[in-house]
Amino acid sequence: MTRESIARLVRSRSPGGWAATIGIYTLALTWLYPFAWMVAASLKPTAQIYTTGLFEGDFSFDNFRFLFATADKLDRPFLQAMGISAIVTLSVTASVIVTSAFIAYALARLRFPGAKLFGDFLLLQMVIPTTMFILPLFVLIKQLGLLNSLGALIFPSMMSGWGIYMMSQSFRAMPEDLLDAARLDRASLWQTVMKVVVPLNKSIIAIVALFTFTGTWDNFLWPLIAISDTDRMPLAVLLATFSKQYGGYAGPVMAGAVLQTLPLVLLFLLFRRHFLQGMALTLK
Amino acid sequence: MRRGADASRHRALSREAVIGLSLALAYLVFAAIFWAYPFFWLARLSVTQWRFFDEPVFTGGRNLLLTVQDPQFQQAMWNVLRFLAFYLPIAFGGALLVAFGLQHVGRGKTFVALCFLLSNVSSGVAVSLVFTKIFSSTGPLNAWLFGWIGVRVPWTTHPTLAMLAIALVVAWKFVGYYGLILYSGLLTIPREIYDAATLDHARPLTRLFRVTLPMINPQLMMVLVFAILVSFGLFTEPFLITGGGPADSTATPQMMIYETAFRRLQPSHAATMSILVSLASYLLVLAARRLFERKVVIA
Repeated sequence: MTRESIARLVRSRSPGGWAATIGIYTLALTWLYPFAWMVAASLKPTAQIYTTGLFEGDFSFDNFRFLFATADKLDRPFLQAMGISAIVTLSVTASVIVTSAFIAYALARLRFPGAKLFGDFLLLQMVIPTTMFILPLFVLIKQLGLLNSLGALIFPSMMSGWGIYMMSQSFRAMPEDLLDAARLDRASLWQTVMKVVVPLNKSIIAIVALFTFTGTWDNFLWPLIAISDTDRMPLAVLLATFSKQYGGYAGPVMAGAVLQTLPLVLLFLLFRRHFLQGMALTLK
Repeated sequence: MRRGADASRHRALSREAVIGLSLALAYLVFAAIFWAYPFFWLARLSVTQWRFFDEPVFTGGRNLLLTVQDPQFQQAMWNVLRFLAFYLPIAFGGALLVAFGLQHVGRGKTFVALCFLLSNVSSGVAVSLVFTKIFSSTGPLNAWLFGWIGVRVPWTTHPTLAMLAIALVVAWKFVGYYGLILYSGLLTIPREIYDAATLDHARPLTRLFRVTLPMINPQLMMVLVFAILVSFGLFTEPFLITGGGPADSTATPQMMIYETAFRRLQPSHAATMSILVSLASYLLVLAARRLFERKVVIA
């Protein structure tokens, strides 16, 4: 920036305007303070967490090493819990994307009797709060003999009415001639969806994938109920039980919190455009 | 010739219908298992006595009577209102600040939005654990307050302050999102209305209450509805930060349902609670819309 353009920028705002700008940036950075504190605490010895300033102390990865090596002996297998979280989250996300894409294509583009009713049913489902279902879902999973298994975490979330609805809204806006071309080429359902529909709607698919991923990774109440063995727990639940029992180990607890947060923050920063777009979509 | 074409079109349509129907059916089977069947169980549990292993015994309205009279459940419902009393002013104040801020900063808009939204997408469990430490008696917040004004605040051991602490954490998480909603409303206000208000010598405060806020009523309503739904669904934060204490002062309906079903092993009781809680949240949303919803008309 040249000196002139800076001068022009300074002149374009009143002193009050500048104060407001500085105020809003300060507030925005303050909003990040808990993250900064978490990362700093995860890198310090527990004894120094409360006694040193944010950027002071002996930084090391000892807390993470403790989490992966020592916590295992306390019956808290963190590495395995991360693996379980990853398996559950990835399979749920993959399943939701594939099923939503095909069913949304049917809802948006195929004429079949009852299609309108089906759409209304999806809307009804979205209005009824899911927390209401947690207890009876437990009864069902118990009857199926799936308690304490990964199936309990994966199966109930394999399809998503919300995902179908969001995708179908976007699929409706596609130009008809491309689908006509696919029809003329006698493309199969699989080819039509994978070769025509999906490439044209990457944005909405990314949005559904991201929100499903974050929701599943951070799901707490359901796995807390469905899983009671520590060696089947996803990271969120294992971390909470670890903190409850070994709250004194503040350093390792914060290291666990960093591990739990990291994938979500990375995804958010990498796909920030899609996140903002997705949030804007829910505003309509 | 014509009949042949008609028939083939009809056949093509029916193939399309078969594919469409079977895809819809796949979802309906899934919903029947994981949505309708639990729904049926919820209804069944609410009118029976059951303890996870025996056969449910029909008891009619007894669960409802017991639940309504349960002092802990009453406390939990009352706590929702106590939470809202703290949460609504903080959330609306913060969200308006964020919305006006976004409107003001211009070029750095995306950066500011990302700062405020990071808390919204990050992990509820991790965040709760971090705030447990931040609010603790020797934590950084108290250290800062002590250095500044010489007091230590018992954030998690005083009934009212504990609720304030929970409201602050939840507001920290949602203010960015609410701010974005209000900001999308601000964008729709025509410039001419402000020009007209300025010509009428309206003061900034008058402009805010007579022009800006009424114009973004739909967005304010949306935030209010979201806030009500959040308050009834609260679990992770109070469960991990205060554990519902001190003396049930931060126990939420979801925590009561969890405790009743899986600690006290009274699922019938808990099922009745979850129906009542959903009903209450629905009624509160309805009441809020009746009271505050206005049609925005630009004449």
